[in-house]
Amino acid sequence: MSSQRFLAFGLRFYVVIFFIYLFLPLIIMAAATFNDSRFPTVTPWDGTTLRWFGELAADRGMWQALANSLIVATGVLVVAVPIGIATALFLNTVTSRAKPFLYALILSPLLTPGVIIGISTLIFWRQFGVSGGIFLTVLGQATFIAAYVMLMVTARLQRFDRTMERAALDLGASQWQMFRRILLPYLKPALYSAAVIAFLQSFENYNTTLFVVGYDTTLTVYIASKVRTGLTPAVNALGLILILVTVLFAAIYELKRRREAARAVQGV
Amino acid sequence: MDGSVRLDEVVMRFGDFTAIEKTSLAIGSGEFFSFLGPSGCGKTTLLNIVSGFLVPSEGQVYIGDEPMAGVPVNRRPTAMIFQNLALFPLMTVFENIEFGLEVRGVDKRKRREVSERLLALVALEGSGPKMVTELSGGQKQRVAIARALAVEPRVLLLDEPLSALDLKLRQHMRTELKAIQRKTGITFIYITHDQGEALNMSDRVAVMSAGRIQQVADPMTLYRQPATGFVAAFVGENNRLQARVIDCEGERVRLDGGALGELAGRASGSARLSNGEAAVLFVRPEHLRPVEPQASGPKLEGEIEAVHFEGAWVMLETRLVASGEKLRVQLGHELSRSQANTLSVGQRLVFGFDPADAVVLPDDGSPVVDEETGEVVEGRPAAAGGAHV
Amino acid sequence: MFRQLRARFGGPLAMAIVTLLGIWLIVMVTLPQLQMIEYSLRPNLLPAQIGGPDDRLTLANYATLFNNDIHRTIFFKTIWSSVLVTLLTLAVSYPLAWYLAKVATPRQAALCILLLIIPFWINEILRTYSWFIILAFRGPLNEVLMMLGLIDRPIRFLSGNGGVMVGMVYAYILFMVFPVYNAIESLDDNQVRAARDLGAGTVRTHRRIVIPHAKPGIATGCIMTFMLAAGSYAVPALLGSPGSRWFTQIIYNWFFEGGNWNQGAAYAFLLLVLCIGFMSLIMKVFKVGLGDIGK
Repeated sequence: MSSQRFLAFGLRFYVVIFFIYLFLPLIIMAAATFNDSRFPTVTPWDGTTLRWFGELAADRGMWQALANSLIVATGVLVVAVPIGIATALFLNTVTSRAKPFLYALILSPLLTPGVIIGISTLIFWRQFGVSGGIFLTVLGQATFIAAYVMLMVTARLQRFDRTMERAALDLGASQWQMFRRILLPYLKPALYSAAVIAFLQSFENYNTTLFVVGYDTTLTVYIASKVRTGLTPAVNALGLILILVTVLFAAIYELKRRREAARAVQGV
Repeated sequence: MDGSVRLDEVVMRFGDFTAIEKTSLAIGSGEFFSFLGPSGCGKTTLLNIVSGFLVPSEGQVYIGDEPMAGVPVNRRPTAMIFQNLALFPLMTVFENIEFGLEVRGVDKRKRREVSERLLALVALEGSGPKMVTELSGGQKQRVAIARALAVEPRVLLLDEPLSALDLKLRQHMRTELKAIQRKTGITFIYITHDQGEALNMSDRVAVMSAGRIQQVADPMTLYRQPATGFVAAFVGENNRLQARVIDCEGERVRLDGGALGELAGRASGSARLSNGEAAVLFVRPEHLRPVEPQASGPKLEGEIEAVHFEGAWVMLETRLVASGEKLRVQLGHELSRSQANTLSVGQRLVFGFDPADAVVLPDDGSPVVDEETGEVVEGRPAAAGGAHV
Repeated sequence: MFRQLRARFGGPLAMAIVTLLGIWLIVMVTLPQLQMIEYSLRPNLLPAQIGGPDDRLTLANYATLFNNDIHRTIFFKTIWSSVLVTLLTLAVSYPLAWYLAKVATPRQAALCILLLIIPFWINEILRTYSWFIILAFRGPLNEVLMMLGLIDRPIRFLSGNGGVMVGMVYAYILFMVFPVYNAIESLDDNQVRAARDLGAGTVRTHRRIVIPHAKPGIATGCIMTFMLAAGSYAVPALLGSPGSRWFTQIIYNWFFEGGNWNQGAAYAFLLLVLCIGFMSLIMKVFKVGLGDIGK
């Protein structure tokens, strides 16, 4: 039927358009970095320049925000990863009728809008005299990032053969030795992935951060505020750099993940 | 080194379910001891009790005459070879073997000495630096053994270690395990559902069913003098005929086989048989041979239903003309060539046997393994409890 | 439960696990939420008035929303727009999910998925910003449209809801594509072939065979998209205008411009209730359970 063929062609056409739709804005934004025009755009093209990179490098506010983002991300790693591991171990070990309820509670931060997490964190710590800043940002972000860590660790933990724990104990290891020498090394790949994801999630978070960041800024908050006040293509320059770094990161991560998946098939 | 193991009135319950009925057992130091029984009989549970993974609901475990109550797994003088081996996949062979020593704080040089020596013992020299994932099934098996031996246990517990291996490898490993046991003098407690293995390797075997030990004895005794109907039917092949005792004279028992006529056999087991009591006569296929219809002694007429040629012998599946029960007969060199050529389905033959070869046991309803399905069928409640030594 | 932990990990480690889990669930997840609800039920008081006669539980903060015309309008507009965004995202994502799951070869699908994921590693702010540039009054979209002669004067895309909704669809599309893709993927190819073989056209095949099977995925995608849209701050902030404020922006104002945290807490709680309500509604309509919402 030719209508079938038309639809099939239409679908492929649609997919192509879709990907153009997906990438075009980013390409345009990247291109605007090099346009010598005060307002970031590609039309009209006023000449090619690199001066916006210079302006970006000179922006003290940006460097401070970047530093804050890194500090917060590190803090989130320190808080969320142990919590995520602990939760995964807990869920893997315990059987109880309360488990479904606990599981729902554990996943709830993932389903709660970011702004609500930010608001509740802000309100809670006010009574202790702690107001918005790096500390609250770390806590607010870690609240839901810990759940992501838990999911990633659990995925790996579920494939663990618990007979090995018994073997370790049988050979004389204490429970701590078993954990440190058998279980933890097994979890390492998941821990690395979880750490990377946690770091990135923290770095790019906006909704929650906005409410708990106080007078400090993180990079995302900084970019957003720049767009609304004081917009120049320097923002595009920052965007382009971030895109390149992210794509590099993503490529490395994906390659590593595929290699891990291939190794999993061999039964490690 | 005292590697004796003693179970003192051990009971294991999981909720309402009793996995191990009251059991007492003594295993000698340096003995190769097997637990044999169908799936679910409780042999793995007993192994877990000895190793410390399970705490018995009642009773005591002694290893080397020391009570093991309150002693956790990682402090017992036992080591276990798991069914799926449980080698540590992220470690090399060396690291696996040395693990038990490492957690005890033994220094690196000494550890390496021990693992090199053990690798030689299990014929895997040079494989030390390899990752365990690179090894074949048989090689992994040997690493598991070396790893367990490294901690110098007094008792080695083996949980169906050969079940995952192919036939040739299994036979090879049987010999190796036996050799290692003799060389090291460690008590081996071996569990399996494969009677060939158990009978072949062990000094003594405990036959188990449904949480109870039916009999503990050396392989030959188990085969020739089974103590219960279960052991008689489970170990080796056996034909099972129901009859009623007429009278006993010493060991010899005369039985009324109903439609099968008068039968005779040898009393086994510790129970005394009384006249008129219901009993079971067990006669093995290899003890039956064709006789003339007028010959003296017990006779069974069977109609051949199938002929299985097995090379060195012929297995006949027959059905008793008088009662319709099945009778399996194994014929070998006592067949003349002409007789062998004429065996055919539908043919009727009369089989006889020497009463000294047939075992008579009380019909106490002990569980029996169904020939066709391989399932354990509970008879009426068993008479004596499994308290044997 | 603690006994099981201790049996496996030993006393100290088990304590550490329970402590970490407790801190997280109690101090970071539950108590702040409860506190937020409590705040929403109290009036905004000066420090001096706390503990005094005015400090009592009241629903006044909630009443404010319904009495304030502007806020009420914005609240309902947010709901309505989020629903539209969800439907739009679903419409845009469905063909792509279908293509990935059933039409593309495994290699094409793998490549497409990789291409899909890359933009989503990039910051939501930057992606929204890129639309800002396109939709700008003097931006490329206007230029191209004028060049093609379709319009005479540039359109103000960035005023009103249009720009915001387009931005949201762009921002959250992955959260719809993946669940729907996963759901369609599990459909047996032969069912589609059978339907075609029996004479069903494309529309009917999808309506009667594919969509019912993909329901859990569609439900998951809708829930996630709606919640992201309703709770979105970045997109309306960057792409919106004063005339098209989003509910989250009002909440923000209560905290950082009005200084009335109690009021803000009430509005925030309403947003939470809205999201949970939508989620329950979808789960009921589509008959899916919490377990189906797997990422």
